[in-house]
Amino acid sequence: MSPSEAVRLCAALAQCEIALVRRDPVAPALLSQAARHASGLGPGALVAAAAGLARAVDPSAGGDDAAAARKVVQALCRAAAHEAEAALLAGAAA
Amino acid sequence: MRVWGEDAAVLAAAGADLAALAALEQTLEDGLGDLPRAGSVDAHVHLGRDADGHALDPDALVADLDRWGIAAAVCFPANEPGADGRFTAANAAVLEAAGRHPGRIVPFCRIDPMGPGALDALEAAAAGGARGLKLHPVAQRFRPEAPEVVAAVAAAARRGWPVTIHAGYGARELAGPIGSLVAAVPGARIILAHAGRGDARALAARLGEWPDVMLDTSLAALADLTVLPPGRLCFGSDRPYGEHATALGLVGAAARLAGWTDGERSAVMGGNLRRWIG
Repeated sequence: MSPSEAVRLCAALAQCEIALVRRDPVAPALLSQAARHASGLGPGALVAAAAGLARAVDPSAGGDDAAAARKVVQALCRAAAHEAEAALLAGAAA
Repeated sequence: MRVWGEDAAVLAAAGADLAALAALEQTLEDGLGDLPRAGSVDAHVHLGRDADGHALDPDALVADLDRWGIAAAVCFPANEPGADGRFTAANAAVLEAAGRHPGRIVPFCRIDPMGPGALDALEAAAAGGARGLKLHPVAQRFRPEAPEVVAAVAAAARRGWPVTIHAGYGARELAGPIGSLVAAVPGARIILAHAGRGDARALAARLGEWPDVMLDTSLAALADLTVLPPGRLCFGSDRPYGEHATALGLVGAAARLAGWTDGERSAVMGGNLRRWIG
């Protein structure tokens, strides 16, 4: 993952995080963007899974099912962000 | 079965591809390498149902601890102050859970230090077996250096309790207020949650002045964990807001990037906190 790819993905995932916390209906669209940014990169499968699950569940919906799915989407995004951030930090230290 | 910290049946009802999610979780676990988990302690778990809907019950938590090989968890109430505003029922529920899971759940109490009867609530929790205090300046809307907070932290310090203070999402400037609090209660054992990401650079700059301040890693920023001294860090998940897969992955990544020794990794995963909670 190049620094520019990592920065782009980190920025996109940060947008997703706040949209998910706020249960904003724009979250699935932002996650689809992030998935495109991550495609072919290390965290690609994580972000693709997050985007797919977000499309299946209205992020602003109530109920235990939606809440559980939203939390898993957030976890997948966290895992992807950690991987992108680690790539950046490792590059900076090199 | 639980996947990414959630009940698999509930996720299936939401349309999730459980096999794919489990495979991704396993990949993350494989990447943990030999991060030491035997004897580890999760420093940051909420039990109960938060006003915002997040919920975790003790049995689900213990299932998660077993799944990830984590020995114990410090638990305190979610943001559910109850009708009396004193977290009476929520604290009692955490204490009851600790009684049902001895050695697995270390109970901290939660109070609103600005509310009436706050110190009475703390004393009641102590009588029931609480071993620490949790304060949330954002949810309960107070300044960490307020006289009422100083009184609560002093009461905890007299008992030798650690005090976990929210220092992440939504936190205001923290370095000055925490400095005032530490000066007002010398020897107080403070755990700044989320590695202080709400004011990370300013807190890190002053950490050397505060020998009795630690930071938990729950939902922390990786960049912060790589520059903070591992002797001051304690692993945490912030269940049910966070979950254990990424909480462990975060610490594993920080350990690799910062080059922590085996001893430092063990200390972060439990040794540092056990010095305070036994």
